[in-house]
Amino acid sequence: MTFSIRRFRAMVKKEWKDSIRNPQILLNAGMPILLAVLFNQKEDEPSDLTFLSIPILVAISITGAFVQANMIAEEKEKNTLRSLMLSPASKLEVLAGKSATTTLFALLVIAVCLAISGVPDVNIVYLIILSILLLLIFMALGTVIGLIARTASESSIVGLPLLLLFIFGPIFVPNLDLPALMKIIDVLPSHQFMLAITALIQDGGLSQIGGNLLNLVLWTIVSLALCFLVYGKKRFDK
Amino acid sequence: MLREGVIVMQSIIEVEGLEKLYKKKRALKNISFQVKQGEIFGFLGPSGSGKTTTVKILTSQLLYTSGRVKVLGSDPARSRHSEFLGKIGVLTDNSGTYERLSVYDNLALFCRLYGVADRRIETVLDAVNLNDDKHTLVGRLSKGMKQRVTLARTILHEPDILFLDEPTSALDPVNSGRIQQTLREMNSRGTTIFLTTHNMQEAEELCDRVAFLNHGEISALDTPQALRLQYGDRSITVTTQQGKQVVQQNDAGANLIRELIQRGDLLAIHSNEPTLGDIFVKLTGRGLE
Ligand SMILES: Nc1ncnc2c1ncn2[C@@H]1O[C@H](COP(=O)(O)OP(=O)(O)OP(=O)(O)O)[C@@H](O)[C@H]1O
Ligand SMILES: [Mg+2]
Repeated sequence: MTFSIRRFRAMVKKEWKDSIRNPQILLNAGMPILLAVLFNQKEDEPSDLTFLSIPILVAISITGAFVQANMIAEEKEKNTLRSLMLSPASKLEVLAGKSATTTLFALLVIAVCLAISGVPDVNIVYLIILSILLLLIFMALGTVIGLIARTASESSIVGLPLLLLFIFGPIFVPNLDLPALMKIIDVLPSHQFMLAITALIQDGGLSQIGGNLLNLVLWTIVSLALCFLVYGKKRFDK
Repeated sequence: MLREGVIVMQSIIEVEGLEKLYKKKRALKNISFQVKQGEIFGFLGPSGSGKTTTVKILTSQLLYTSGRVKVLGSDPARSRHSEFLGKIGVLTDNSGTYERLSVYDNLALFCRLYGVADRRIETVLDAVNLNDDKHTLVGRLSKGMKQRVTLARTILHEPDILFLDEPTSALDPVNSGRIQQTLREMNSRGTTIFLTTHNMQEAEELCDRVAFLNHGEISALDTPQALRLQYGDRSITVTTQQGKQVVQQNDAGANLIRELIQRGDLLAIHSNEPTLGDIFVKLTGRGLE
């Protein structure tokens, strides 16, 4: 396996120039910011600490999964992936370039969201570790969606169940009386992330968030493995 | 590389007994041919005959079912991928471009992927007559202009072999003429060209040798001239005041022509060379479109 930094940088440069002109991607990146503004209106409910983690969760998950999926699927839709695959660039270089661009987008969106909602008063090191793991998970899932979907709009449709379950599940289901669904929601990394942030806000330490952290690490391993499995399957046309 | 004077007629593409099955459909049936270094080789056939399938196999985009394939000395299905891809240029029948980027930015990306200097961009844009539009977003270009951007990208790294799947299908005569000129120039600098087309005239003007592909089989392979000689009926059309008349190349024909010349009646004389299109119809019973 070869990895050329020159080709990787060329990909990042191109992705960035392309993405900031792509309305679909801008919409995906704008959604968390909009939600942060909306949730910010709920400040009169400080008893519900989970709300403090929502802007970060939404920023990471929507940007990570949807921007990534959109970028990959569009290359297939427009037949540009074929040109890349016919150049000396490897699939790893192409994917790394996209992931780096998605990360850049995510960082920007997180920064804007935090500027709106305020930085939760927690141990910054834990917050960063949790956020990195969550971003890896959602980018891996976004990559899988992007590889499965044939067009950019299909990637939004394929990603919709993920959006509803992973992102809005932990936000809304706890307030509904649905124990069966809640069991599923409970093992999702997004929910574990929210629980961990809530524990951190209440001055919890590693012993309080250890379980959540383990869950996120497991999810990271599984989703990255899934991603490489799907990714490895396509070298040739059938 | 082929240099003038040092002509080694080496095969750069070797295909033997190649078969390709898509599920049950037999798209290529035991085809064999060789392309020599420095040649412009035309692969001619109607829609669905297997041209794109062949190009995809030769360029490592598609696995074949059986047979033997060598491109630049190795099997494209097994060769060291990025090294192999750096030596070939491929224009597929549906190559895409980044529509939200300018012509220049599209090419700049590929300059870096191939490791060539950015100043090549000017040269290739000249070759495809697009230098005036280099800062235009590709999404604003016409279909033929986009096709020229793709071609420019394909020749950016001066590949040893160029694979062109219908390179001029969306072009007007002026631009397809210009591109043919570019291809000839590249060829004279040593690039081998493998070209598929159903444009017989293009093949006739450009190709050193052509293969006729029909339903996945090669039904003829030779220089355009040899094919014309082999499949023409060698008749001659003479034009006189009375009109046109077809004569055969035999004693009777010779006598008739001599008579017409002696009487001063002969206005024009043409050999009835068939076009490649005529020969294709004769061989396969079907046209090329
Ligand atoms: N992915 C595929 N799956 C099944 N059959 C296929 C596939 N691709 C091509 N074929 C079949 O193989 C045959 C050859 O197709 P190919 O695309 O190589 O033709 P072509 O000569 O390039 O045609 P055109 O001039 O229209 O581009 C056709 O009958 C086609 O239906
Ligand atoms: Mg074709």
